[in-house]
Amino acid sequence: MLTSSVLTSGLLAQQGQPPGQGGAPEIDYLAILPIIIIFGAAAVGVLLEAVLPKHQRWSVQVGLSILAIVGAGLAFAYYVSDAPTEGITTIAGALSIDQPALFLWGTLLALGFGSILLIADRSVEPGGAFVAEAAIRPGTVQDRAQAQTTGMQTEVFPLALFALGGMMTFCAANDLLTMFIALEVLSLPLYLLCGLARRRRLLSQEAAVKYFLLGAFASAFFLYGLALLYGYAGSVKLADIATAAAGTDRSDALLFGGLGLLVVGLLFKGSVGPFHTWTPDVYQGAPTPVTAFMAACTKVAAFGGMLRVLTVAFESTSWEWRGVLWGVAIVSMVIGAILGLTQTDVKRMIAYSSIAHAGFLLIGTIALTDQGVSATMFYLLAYGFTTLAAFGVVSLVRDSSGEATHLSQWAGLAKRSPLIAAVFTFLLLALTGIPLTSGFVGKFVVFSAAIEDGMAPLVVIALVASAVAAFFYLRVIVLMYFSEPAEDGPTVSVPGTFTTAAITLGVAVTVLLGVLPTVVLDWATAGGGFAS
Amino acid sequence: MLLAIALHMLVAVIVLLIARRAGRWVFAIAAAVPAVTFAWVMSGSAATLAGDARVETLSWAPKIGLESVLRLDVLSFVMIILVSGVGAVVFAFYAAYAKPGERGVGRTAALLSVFAGAMLGLVLADDIFTLYVFWELTTVCSFLLVGGDGVSRAARRSAVQALLVTAIGGLAMLGGLVLLAEASGTYRISEIVANPPSGAAVNVALVLLLVGVVTKSAQVPFHPWLPGAMVAPTPVSAYLHAAAMVKAGVYLLARFAPGFGDVPAWWVPAVVLGSLTMLIGGYRALRETDLKTLLAYGTVSQLGFLTVLMGAGTRAAALAGITLLLAHGLFKSALFLVVGVIDRQTGTRDIRHLSGVGRQSPALAVFAVLALASMAGLPPLLGFVGKETAFEAFTYGGTDTFVLVAIALGSVLTVAYSIRFVWGAFATKTDLPDTAVSTPGIGLLGPVALPALAGLVFGVATPLASTVVDGYPAAMPFGPEASDLALWHGIGVPLGLSVLALVGGYLVYRYPASWQWLCGRLPSALNAQRGYERAVTGLDDVAHKVTGRLQVGSLPAYLGVILVAVFVVAGVGMISDTPLPAEWRWFDNPLQVPLALLVLAGAWAAVFAHRRITAVLFASVVGYGIAALFIVDGGPDLALAQFLVESLTLVVFVFVLRRFPAHFSNLKSIRSFRFGKLAVAATAGILVSLAGVLYSGARTESPTASQEYAERAVSEAGASNVVNAIIVDFRAFDTVGEITVLAVAAAGAASLILAAQRSARRPTESDEDSKASKRKEASR
Repeated sequence: MLTSSVLTSGLLAQQGQPPGQGGAPEIDYLAILPIIIIFGAAAVGVLLEAVLPKHQRWSVQVGLSILAIVGAGLAFAYYVSDAPTEGITTIAGALSIDQPALFLWGTLLALGFGSILLIADRSVEPGGAFVAEAAIRPGTVQDRAQAQTTGMQTEVFPLALFALGGMMTFCAANDLLTMFIALEVLSLPLYLLCGLARRRRLLSQEAAVKYFLLGAFASAFFLYGLALLYGYAGSVKLADIATAAAGTDRSDALLFGGLGLLVVGLLFKGSVGPFHTWTPDVYQGAPTPVTAFMAACTKVAAFGGMLRVLTVAFESTSWEWRGVLWGVAIVSMVIGAILGLTQTDVKRMIAYSSIAHAGFLLIGTIALTDQGVSATMFYLLAYGFTTLAAFGVVSLVRDSSGEATHLSQWAGLAKRSPLIAAVFTFLLLALTGIPLTSGFVGKFVVFSAAIEDGMAPLVVIALVASAVAAFFYLRVIVLMYFSEPAEDGPTVSVPGTFTTAAITLGVAVTVLLGVLPTVVLDWATAGGGFAS
Repeated sequence: MLLAIALHMLVAVIVLLIARRAGRWVFAIAAAVPAVTFAWVMSGSAATLAGDARVETLSWAPKIGLESVLRLDVLSFVMIILVSGVGAVVFAFYAAYAKPGERGVGRTAALLSVFAGAMLGLVLADDIFTLYVFWELTTVCSFLLVGGDGVSRAARRSAVQALLVTAIGGLAMLGGLVLLAEASGTYRISEIVANPPSGAAVNVALVLLLVGVVTKSAQVPFHPWLPGAMVAPTPVSAYLHAAAMVKAGVYLLARFAPGFGDVPAWWVPAVVLGSLTMLIGGYRALRETDLKTLLAYGTVSQLGFLTVLMGAGTRAAALAGITLLLAHGLFKSALFLVVGVIDRQTGTRDIRHLSGVGRQSPALAVFAVLALASMAGLPPLLGFVGKETAFEAFTYGGTDTFVLVAIALGSVLTVAYSIRFVWGAFATKTDLPDTAVSTPGIGLLGPVALPALAGLVFGVATPLASTVVDGYPAAMPFGPEASDLALWHGIGVPLGLSVLALVGGYLVYRYPASWQWLCGRLPSALNAQRGYERAVTGLDDVAHKVTGRLQVGSLPAYLGVILVAVFVVAGVGMISDTPLPAEWRWFDNPLQVPLALLVLAGAWAAVFAHRRITAVLFASVVGYGIAALFIVDGGPDLALAQFLVESLTLVVFVFVLRRFPAHFSNLKSIRSFRFGKLAVAATAGILVSLAGVLYSGARTESPTASQEYAERAVSEAGASNVVNAIIVDFRAFDTVGEITVLAVAAAGAASLILAAQRSARRPTESDEDSKASKRKEASR
């Protein structure tokens, strides 16, 4: 299947230029420097794995990853300081570096930084959350032997960087092919990362297999949709599809069939119900830092891509397809809110909460106004940091067999560790959307954009869903504060520098965006929308 | 005003810090802030009552129009009398009520202080978000105060119920407020009310707003949370569940009534639910034996009364409403404090055990009777003045008559349970020994006396009450001009009804048989508490069932869900709008027929195979068959790639399957689900094939790339074979890339196999193994 996809991509890649008239396209290196730095560091990281002796790898890889993200951040900041408001397209129109793309890049780099910190932590779990030798079969003699060691599979760092680079490309991709390649670049490392947990390895590997197989299906749908759209418009460029859709009387069958399949692929990545089925299992099975990375960054990438595709290519036909996405948003919110009620595992519960949040995000996404775009981006930023910190906290509550994720083990946590309980309570309140947290401002901007665009019934349903979802966040708070701790309950590890930094970052942003949202909102609403 | 709210929050922190040293006197410190706030508001009362509203604005996020606006007008003024005035009294009471050395006083005092601040913010808020923030903050404080330290199960359950009901109502209210703000283009409440929008969306918004009102103010069918919340300490109940928080709903009603009092979607539900609540609450209060629960149902009933008055939306009703709002806050907080004193000094508040309290503690009895008289509507108390005005407001005939009957009946019940309270709490019962009462000190009696006497003062000095409340009905644009508040309205329907209520109430109290036949005859469907429980457990059940069905951890089930969703999302749009191809051909070349049959047979057989290797072989028959079809269609390069991939996959499969059992292990479980899966799989397959057929017919854009290739093959590549030209010239880089990918994949597979063989010989060397597998993964 993958080979045939390469064939297809080869066939389609050249439609942009007629054969024989190649010529190297112009590249604005400064604009794409952040991506280059991330991918470059990832490639160097792979090489380092081959050359460095084992005991040096961790420190070098961590240093390189952090350096790469900070470097990319600096390059990004330098470019943003005098980026053209209306945005540019570069590499023959393959990437569009416009205001939304830049906002999402900033979000991704910041969230990626927090995720790398969580991934790098070795103090909470001695040796880190990742297995030392992924290839050893779980349960064997060798596996028991390696469980005693404190090494870790340091390939996780380049893999995470590749995924991050893929996500950044995905948000800026201006044609469907670049988008597909970026989708694969971001997905493949994630599939692998999911299977690398140090504890409960079978669960982790099962999660990886499920994610890979279902993800492959989603990619196939995306590709099928892409092919149909090419058949319709004769081009894979978003702008060309928009032109074709706006001004002709040809049959729309290919357009809508293609859009439907394309969107299925995107919805899958964003874990929007009913394409969410992988989410709880994978969130639960994957190593917690990876779960945090996926929950925060993949969502940004998926919805960033969806915003661009829907706004740039399909705005003119929105009244035909919007009804379907209304339905999807409702299903997602309902599934997330109702099924979340039954969860007894903290990670699964946050997974369902992410499904409900995906529904809220979808509401902002289909508003298709400038306000909707900026609201969705703000929501992504706010949600990303909250969920990152939440998973950081989850990784701290442990017993002898690893993380204690069963809810009953969290009973009375406030009496054992008031600080952690307070932090987690705050994060849950932010997920609920209580005022003075970023969650409230996020919901507010998204819902008001939706109402502005005539989607009041959807907003009412969303409010009901938030109310139901509030119930299960609340249950955890009640459990932490109003129950007696179990005798042999889990202990709360003292986090090392990295995890502390990541959680602090997440909580600080959640507070700041809740109290002083103006600065970020200004940026999200500034400038000129999508360039294509 | 901002300063006052901030001060409350600050004191909450201070109180927490010094609680250990100061003990129960932290309440005295906490009392200072509401007292100062009250004094400050009173000092500016002249301007406020003259209609000069004071406004403060704090810009929060101007970009999206989020700013915090506070506005002090007459309605807020009246509410502040209850919030800060009664608040200070209750705090002072708590200092005397708490036992020396009691645990958790710091927490309670801090929470009460936060609550007082939030309540102040709520009644001052003039933009919908500030209102909502403070609204939910009061909910959370109430939750924490009712839950206490969460030791008892009843406390936890009641706390959660109170929180759930009011928080959900709060969200509905937010929805309504947002809709309303969007319809009128401003977030300022005063501006919305001044220029009320209209339309269908506004009606929906008003109904949502009412949901917030009825949940917060414990109206039918959401009322059970209020009696449940009585597990909280009595002073907390006095403040939250009598004077302040439960009034928030009524306050909201009053706030928006000047704008929407004439909209049926607004006043009809308010009046109907309010009347029902008044009757049901009064009826339940007659049956309770616990003094505090009795008062709680009485509060429910009175809140219903207030809802009717504030919801009716006429000037006269508004005047009665705001008067009774004030009166109720005063007498009900006094009564709760009385219950607190009785409970603390005797150790019980059950009327079946209390006897002779009035004789032993006459001062307490006097103040209690004063408050009860105001509640029952006896002259010359404020409650009487309010009730007279209320009766008068509904004497204009028409539908008003129904309301008049309802509130008159409600008043009968009010009188009845008031008498029951007096008798139950203070009477000397012949069949009971006297309850031991330790005499309450001034610290307990003073706070009881203050609100009770205030009700008397306002009642006697009616003009004083008029100056306080008159500004509110003056702002109402609907209904006839209201007459002034007065103790004596002359002989008429209102006075008649007042007398009727008193006499009727006494009779109802005296002859319980008159209402006891109702017991057990009300249909159980009307039991709101059971309704709440059913809703909660029902939601839980549904969630469990759906989770059990869909989230079973099985990959086929997940895939099935996704496929079904794809049919719905993509499939419907796909098929519905697509024109059928003009002409149908079964085949282009006779060779296609046997090949297609081969593919079908392979697919069919693969599904039913019992051995793993058989299934893989049949699956590859499908692949080879398709490759053969490519050849028939004249695509040898494609066919070649397909053959290669197919063979490679097969080889890998064989190597992997060597390690597996020969048969599928869970054949039985597969069988049991077979038909569902068969249906999903068949639908998916048919849909995809159908799409292939339809779309190849629907394609309109001519394939420019192909044409260009054909045209330029000779001229630019010098090739007479177009396929050759494409592979080695036009798409040379692609070809190189593809070869590289294949080579890397093959090398990876080979090294994996070799490494596995080596490690079989030398089992310790697992490092190689892992690297090889990594390479394999990376090459994909």
